[in-house]
Amino acid sequence: MISPDKIDEWIHEVEERPSSAELIIHYIANRLSELASREEELAAQNIELLSGRKVEEYKSRIASLEYQLALLKRQLGGEVILPTEAPVTTPIQETINIVICNPSGRVLRLEMTPAELASSPTMARIIGEVCLEGAQPTVLVTTSQEELLLIFDSGRTVAHPASQLPLSNADSLGWEGAFLEEPRIKEELAAIQPIAKMPLYEMCIQTSRRGYVKKIKMPVFTSHLAEDYIGTGVKLPADKTCGLTFANTGSLFVMVSQEGYIFSMQAERLPTAIEEVIRLGITDHIVATFTVNREPSILFITQNGKAVHRDASWLEPANSFKSKGQAILSKERREAGIRIVGAAPVDDPDWGVFLLEDGSLNAYKLEDLLATGSLPVVQPSASILSFSTFHMPETNE
Amino acid sequence: MGLKVGIDFGTSNSGVAIYRDGKVHILPIDSKNVVPEVVKTILYITRDYKHFIGQQAVEIYFKQNINRQRRFVQKWSGEIDYTGSDMHYVRDIYVYVDELQPGRLLQYIKTALRSEKYQGTQVFERYYSLTDIISGYLQALKQRAETLLEEEISGATLGRPVKFSQDSDQDLKAQNTLLQAAMDAGFKQVEFELEPVAAALYYELSLSQPQNVLIFDFGGGTLDLTIMRLGDPNHREVYASGGISIAGSDFDRAIIQKRMLAHFGKGVIQNDPDIQKLIHTIPDWAALPELSTPRAKAELEGAVHAGVTPVRLKALESLIFNDLAFSFYNMVEATKITLSSLGAAVARMKEKDLDIWELYTRSQFEKDIQEYRDQIEQMLMDTVRASGLEPGEIDAVVKTGGSSNIPVFSDMLARIFGEDKVKASDIFNSVTGGLAIKAYQNS
Repeated sequence: MISPDKIDEWIHEVEERPSSAELIIHYIANRLSELASREEELAAQNIELLSGRKVEEYKSRIASLEYQLALLKRQLGGEVILPTEAPVTTPIQETINIVICNPSGRVLRLEMTPAELASSPTMARIIGEVCLEGAQPTVLVTTSQEELLLIFDSGRTVAHPASQLPLSNADSLGWEGAFLEEPRIKEELAAIQPIAKMPLYEMCIQTSRRGYVKKIKMPVFTSHLAEDYIGTGVKLPADKTCGLTFANTGSLFVMVSQEGYIFSMQAERLPTAIEEVIRLGITDHIVATFTVNREPSILFITQNGKAVHRDASWLEPANSFKSKGQAILSKERREAGIRIVGAAPVDDPDWGVFLLEDGSLNAYKLEDLLATGSLPVVQPSASILSFSTFHMPETNE
Repeated sequence: MGLKVGIDFGTSNSGVAIYRDGKVHILPIDSKNVVPEVVKTILYITRDYKHFIGQQAVEIYFKQNINRQRRFVQKWSGEIDYTGSDMHYVRDIYVYVDELQPGRLLQYIKTALRSEKYQGTQVFERYYSLTDIISGYLQALKQRAETLLEEEISGATLGRPVKFSQDSDQDLKAQNTLLQAAMDAGFKQVEFELEPVAAALYYELSLSQPQNVLIFDFGGGTLDLTIMRLGDPNHREVYASGGISIAGSDFDRAIIQKRMLAHFGKGVIQNDPDIQKLIHTIPDWAALPELSTPRAKAELEGAVHAGVTPVRLKALESLIFNDLAFSFYNMVEATKITLSSLGAAVARMKEKDLDIWELYTRSQFEKDIQEYRDQIEQMLMDTVRASGLEPGEIDAVVKTGGSSNIPVFSDMLARIFGEDKVKASDIFNSVTGGLAIKAYQNS
């Protein structure tokens, strides 16, 4: 950092003590020589970048990592077709997969390109009964390269590559033609979890509807998965597992209940044995779990289509277990029957897919939704059943 | 009766000497040091509570710490009560502790004696009061001296500045702390002597006739001035003494504040008070190692990620999280010392993500410490006035201590008293030697 002021000070030194001149010139010349050789190094690196050599090197590294990931998926039971030679480096065109499942093990999958999804808010509609035999469906949005873990309330798991689930027709979407992962006796499908990025995390957190939590270190969880059994994750007979969340040390784990109570805590402080971390009311249950890392805010969706948006800093991590939780809904709104149907950490460019009681599936850019504060299409007769957020993949044009 | 030695417990360096057979013997107390007669006033405490001093401490510190791994864990440290609205809350307080930290390096221990606030520090599971820290250092010093002398040491005459502090209560407290530490270290008899008086006694050995002498003892922590009549052991008289808490460590801090902080983002970071606070903590040697917390790391990485002067903030991150603080302070001190003999020096440090090159001239340094120079000249003239002598009546000005070599102060003394009167004593050993003479006289 050489400024004109400093140069004046050096000149002043030379005027005061001429003998310093030789020394100063010597130091500056050495520095110039050092900087010249460094500049040459940087110029060489720049040429590598401009010629695309570095890009090729990074592409090759990414391809190698993808290959390792595919191997991991295979170890976990996914039916990934392994490449027989070094993977190609051309980028894969990502598509959006919308997966809808219900507790009886039926799974619907729609595949859309980002352009198709953005063209119209309503993508499809389930024909016929939406809540088959009273079983409420849930929606999950993921990419075509994802591996999905189907978790049953007995603790049994089954893994499928998303791309290998049968495709449903958007024009005739109905449970009759759905893929069926048949539950065993007295068993229900509790959740679907994307697991392709699992090796990037240190721990897995299993949660139950009644606010019980169990933290499992990733190597242990991986060995459980190899056995296709991860445990029920519950203590109470009337309770049921409601999903998995992957986390790293330092991640803030968040649970949201239907009546609008939130529990948050640093992931590493969670219990390793099943423990009740939030005290829920008798009619309440957990509807969403996730971790907050770099996302700036949290979006809560109510059944009547209101979007409640809070900065991530609004969350107050709990100091102890069995807390009552932080409330997002006022007492009056809760008594008026307002309920949370889902919550997720979001960033400005994210999108959301909403499954309504009338069977319609709608996609919105969250930025637009937050500006209006509510879903435009929700009628009093058709409340929201489930929602899921996703990041729109970049298109290769 | 056991052996008695003189100990100069200095801010930057210390020394031990004994007076035997009419001669002062300065002990080669640190065989690993470039000057074996002085030992750096540095204490390194390992995780198993072993104490190391001097160059050995530095070597172990570097070996164990540079580029080491860190693992922060949360530890419960207490709880606070507070009231908000009409509710009373009790909240647990956790601190992040690096559980892989192999040891703690403590330097500028003597400076802590003049601080009202500094009581001690937590070293792993044990609390070390200031007395414990000094005692740990003196005990190691005593053991080394006993090994060299092959005899047990029972007593010591310790040097002390004219004023530890301008506040008399604090001054007394500092001496009592030092006394207690020396007793805890195993010295059965402990006396004190003013450091400039000790330097005068050492200088007196070279005198053939009585003189009025000004001792200009300028070390790492304080400047001590004493004007004495010397040369006749039966008629020594102290005319005046004075002291000021300005010395080498203050000059190092001035260099860091004025020349180094820009390398870590000062002047560029405008709207981030947390990062500004990190930058402004750099000159504080005691606080800098405490900055290595996960929160500080996250703040710095966030700013680097956002492209806020990334090179300078990476340098700051490297300084804090690669345990480079000690090397950094040493580099600044070495640059200052070079300027005592040359008109220009380069402050250079090249480590991971940290590349400092600062051409620094003597005139820049003199400008940076201008405020201190004025205060020192004022103190000097006040002391001469208090002695009742005119500058022309002082026969010799004896410089001692590392900072007395700084040319601007030699020039100041020459301008006031005349160049021929300014004499350099043994800059590192004259106080130690004088304390040995005093210890002999007291025994």
